[in-house]
Amino acid sequence: DDVFVSSSNAYDEAINHLGRELENGRLVRLLAKLGTINERPEYDGDPNWSETEHRYTLKLFRDYVFHQVDTQGNPVLDLGHIISCLNKLDAGTEEKIYLTSRDHQSTFLVTYRELKKQVQSAFGDLQKGNTKQ
Amino acid sequence: MDGDWDEVARIPFPPPGIRALPTPVTCLAFDITQELLWTGNEYGRVTSFYGAKLQPYTSFKAHSSQDGGVLQILFNDKGVIALGARGVHMRNRRGLPLWSIRHDDMKELRCMSFTSKGTGEILVAGEQDQMLVIDTFKGEVTKQVSTEHKYKIMRRSSRNICAATPGGSVHIIDSINFQVLKTWNAHTAAINDMDAQHDFIVTCGYSLRQQGNYMPDPFVNVFDLKNMVSMSPIPFPAGAAYVRMHPRMSTTSIVMSQIGQMHVVDLMNPNTSNVRQANSLSYFSMVEIAPSGEAVVLADGDCFIHLWGSPSKIHFTEFGRPVETADAQSAVTRIEFDTWDTSRPLSSVGVPYYREVLLSAWPGNMVTEVGLPPVKIDPQVVATLQEREWGFYGKNTRQLRRNQVEDVRSSESPQKMLKHPKFLSEKARELAKSPAGTPAPEEVVPEFPF
Repeated sequence: DDVFVSSSNAYDEAINHLGRELENGRLVRLLAKLGTINERPEYDGDPNWSETEHRYTLKLFRDYVFHQVDTQGNPVLDLGHIISCLNKLDAGTEEKIYLTSRDHQSTFLVTYRELKKQVQSAFGDLQKGNTKQ
Repeated sequence: MDGDWDEVARIPFPPPGIRALPTPVTCLAFDITQELLWTGNEYGRVTSFYGAKLQPYTSFKAHSSQDGGVLQILFNDKGVIALGARGVHMRNRRGLPLWSIRHDDMKELRCMSFTSKGTGEILVAGEQDQMLVIDTFKGEVTKQVSTEHKYKIMRRSSRNICAATPGGSVHIIDSINFQVLKTWNAHTAAINDMDAQHDFIVTCGYSLRQQGNYMPDPFVNVFDLKNMVSMSPIPFPAGAAYVRMHPRMSTTSIVMSQIGQMHVVDLMNPNTSNVRQANSLSYFSMVEIAPSGEAVVLADGDCFIHLWGSPSKIHFTEFGRPVETADAQSAVTRIEFDTWDTSRPLSSVGVPYYREVLLSAWPGNMVTEVGLPPVKIDPQVVATLQEREWGFYGKNTRQLRRNQVEDVRSSESPQKMLKHPKFLSEKARELAKSPAGTPAPEEVVPEFPF
């Protein structure tokens, strides 16, 4: 009887641990995607990434997620914010967020769905470049 | 104009940089569906302002600074079309780009207008010998029309496109085949402002005086599009500089002088007018009226935007659709990730409900090689570097690209590459060739499992 209880407990614990770590791989893959597309020097001078074109919002999204500051301008390191932003991007929700450029001159209002599309097309371009070589 | 019209808001036009001096407005336009005022500056930036308080809404660059200012803005359901001298750009109202056209034949664009196809097509023209027709849904040039005339201002009336030339005349252009139907010489020297609405064109212009300087004409010229004849001009002794037709009262127009004297005049009955004075230390450079007719905006030389209307009921559009704003952060219970606590699982944040493939889905057909030996560092290169506490630094003398992937496996020992199996006879032959005592390369046990 004791053996049964403890084996059940062990099983529950394993499930519990599994549930806790389940998200990690997904987040790492998402971060890897974002990391590969952002700030590539190959893009310098590419009109698609310039301030007047559509991929500019991806740069601003990176700032939105990772470069939060408080009212004094001190960096805010909020893992909850980062993960919830990434999760929303992953699912591509209809929620709208304000993205502001570093010089405060440009303001955009973007849904996560639109950002997701941008990431997909940018990543697709990278893959295409891959097969060319 | 109601009796209680007054200035309801005055805001400085945002400068092009944080510490830059403000620059004048190059273009003003009221949105047709939302309570927004759109402005352009001379660096190609478009900024929108919301409501009677003119709160900043969105802002984006329509084209690069080298291409000059934003010259005109048009609207349709999908978004905002901005014209620069060398390109046309469309974005949705939230600032996301829809399309952008730069064409070799876009050299000195000045103006644009919708055509006979509603808001689905625009005609762009300027001080150049080509006019271009653009499909606003697809974002492509569908036709080019050669013209020997240059155009400064364009307005669409109920049937035709009215285009003002730099020389002071107005061409009435067929909005289907873009042929000039009639030329009307409105002013002797130049046209400063023009508006067309329903069946009338109204213009303000200059004439050359004896002293050799240009003077604003003390009248507004009116053209009747229904009968294709010019009507008697409306006197405006202060010198008419800007004019707009009232969008809902089809024979009423608002005329303004450069120093801010505004007259509301009925074209059919010019003797009764309603006078207002807008105050500014400098001259006025632009005027625009909202599609509801209940707001007027002025831009002055000191880079201020003045909004006029009746304080109690000012609104820009008749049936204003609400402006889209950012969603309030959905009320999530704050999770304390104290000092990036490792015991807190990342899954406690939770993914929103979804029905599509997640973005994190990684393509399955990509080959990755993991577990290769580290790249060998060339000692000759290291010798050229200087040592510091945190590492070595110096000039890059390696013959590789930055972050170039190196083929570790082949550089380690090319013989170790997997080879197809060989017959015994081949092995014997190789054994004979290889130096005595060393086994044939393929018999070396690979250090790393392949």
